[in-house]
Amino acid sequence: MDVVNESRLLLKGKPAKLTRLHRETLIGLLFLSPWIIGFILLKALPILAALVLSLTDFKMLTPEATKFIGLENYIRFFGDSEAGASLFRSLKYFLLTVPLEMVVALALAAIFTSERLTNKRVSQTLIFMTSIIPATSIFFIFLGSLQYANRLITTPLNLPPFQGNGLLLPFMALWSIGPGFLIIYSAMASVPTEMYEAARVDGAGPLARFIYITLPMISPAIFFTLVINLTGAFGGAVLLDRGYILNFSLSPIESYINNTMFIQADLGYASALAWMTFGVMMALTIFLFRSSKRWVYFPHEDEENEI
Amino acid sequence: MKFNRSQSHGTDASRLTLRLWDFTGTAMLNLFMFLFLVAYLSPLPFMLIAALTPRDQFLDANAPILPSERVKFSYEGKNLIVYEVPTEDGIKHWALYKSSRKSSLFIDPNNPQAGPILWQGVWRSLKAVYQLKPTLDNFKDFLSVAKMPLYFKNTIIVALISEVGVLFSSIAVAYGFSRFRIPGIKYIFFLLIATIMIPSNITLVPTYYLYSGHMLNWIGTWLPLIVPHFFGSAILIFLLRQNFKSIPRDLDEAAMLDGAGPLRILISVILPQSIPVVTTVALLHFFYIWNETRLSSLYLGIAPNLQMVSFAVQRNQSYFFTPEALMVGALMVMIIPVIVLFLSQRFFMRDMIVTQIEK
Repeated sequence: MDVVNESRLLLKGKPAKLTRLHRETLIGLLFLSPWIIGFILLKALPILAALVLSLTDFKMLTPEATKFIGLENYIRFFGDSEAGASLFRSLKYFLLTVPLEMVVALALAAIFTSERLTNKRVSQTLIFMTSIIPATSIFFIFLGSLQYANRLITTPLNLPPFQGNGLLLPFMALWSIGPGFLIIYSAMASVPTEMYEAARVDGAGPLARFIYITLPMISPAIFFTLVINLTGAFGGAVLLDRGYILNFSLSPIESYINNTMFIQADLGYASALAWMTFGVMMALTIFLFRSSKRWVYFPHEDEENEI
Repeated sequence: MKFNRSQSHGTDASRLTLRLWDFTGTAMLNLFMFLFLVAYLSPLPFMLIAALTPRDQFLDANAPILPSERVKFSYEGKNLIVYEVPTEDGIKHWALYKSSRKSSLFIDPNNPQAGPILWQGVWRSLKAVYQLKPTLDNFKDFLSVAKMPLYFKNTIIVALISEVGVLFSSIAVAYGFSRFRIPGIKYIFFLLIATIMIPSNITLVPTYYLYSGHMLNWIGTWLPLIVPHFFGSAILIFLLRQNFKSIPRDLDEAAMLDGAGPLRILISVILPQSIPVVTTVALLHFFYIWNETRLSSLYLGIAPNLQMVSFAVQRNQSYFFTPEALMVGALMVMIIPVIVLFLSQRFFMRDMIVTQIEK
């Protein structure tokens, strides 16, 4: 190979190192090309189009009457109390369910690291199973079991019956801990045991070991799970997609946007709403990333662009 | 652990206490996990019970929880319903023969020759007698309306084709991200992460326009659900790339010295070491296609014969199905992903490298 390169170098008069690097770059770009083409056609151009769309009053039924209206859609958002309320409810949903998911996943993972627990593989699969149940099924399972819960618990005890939609969100959150649990558990399992031994010799109890060793060591996994949950809560990609419940969106702002889009067919305003949501999510993500420097332990700072 | 204990607790008695303590701890922990799992999974048995319960049982507030049917007694060619009738000699199971508002005639099934017995009271307040009897009628009803074999077939076709596309492209792209020195690759990777976070709502309208009659005319076909996957999936690329990066470079350098090209290295060095993560990614995509409802509702609403299982069951709920039949639907939609998970649990989501601790 080197001989070939050197002879080429003699012919072209270029430094060999550069040509090799060029070749590597070209081959690398060839491997990246499916995603790059897809990114341009299916992400970048649609995003630009959506940006332009959000500056117009485009309506599906009367496309020829579309006018450029500048930032009016965005100004309209600040006067739209219903949109604000939906966005606020989405945020509240994130702030309520994500800690619930995280705490349950953490507690389960901590129990799973114990050597005393038997049948780990079966329990792990059973815990994970609920996270792959399609949204289609989960909705009916939830409504059905609510009916039974009312017959078995609330009616005999004369309590007010469980009502549907308010409980569906925490129920689905609890039934989605699978990926977060596995990620946190595998991080916990890979914490070097010497660290615990050293702490034990120094007289640290189980709680102290958990707080001062386990939590810092698994903080990257916690951070990753948080980011994934955040994007999921605002309609981004999720690790384990269980689909939608068509008539009942889990994210209030998403259902508000869908309503504006498909029922009112006000596409310009719907795009502006989507952008505002994205802005809020980006702000939260940037806040998370900024704060990560304080609480996430990255052992190899020099390693480029890791999450 | 054991070493420490034998040092600090020398006597036999204290060793026994420790053992007992150890045993209690283990038992408590396992009991706790068992109870947690029972509570966590409790809605599932209820789903099964509801799927096996006859429809009219739901209409009777006094009916038992388990799937049952009313006890009937045939008398003079008629099927009479048996009720719990309170009498002076305790509660009797009698069949209602002739009802009227204030008093009714009953037949004692144990002694039908005695003829009708007059009972004073409101028969509507009586509880019917049930006996345990699960029924498969809900399954029959559901299958007679829903074209399940068609939906399953459609789902499998779409899943297989898009699986091939998403695996080929995502593996290639992840390999490109993990092994090649490309100027500015940091920023390209940042774009990849950004696309994971961008809500699907933003690109929904322009992509719909792209697939609509204005441009590609793909509405009412599977193409909008299949073709995008041939460009790779950002989140799967991310998972694969994290794993590929953790494979030591020495191996591919050795292969390179033997004259292997980049594609050869990918196939014979990287992939054999990445079987768990490739399985995971393939399954994640399968679950995604199986659960797909959003794109189906946009692009397949007008093509009932192309619909996939999750969307079809949900869409047809309000037209055809009663709640009990839907429990059957819920069961059928979830059963295949659950089986796939149990079959693949040795590989699925093992070695998920999202931390740097292992490195």
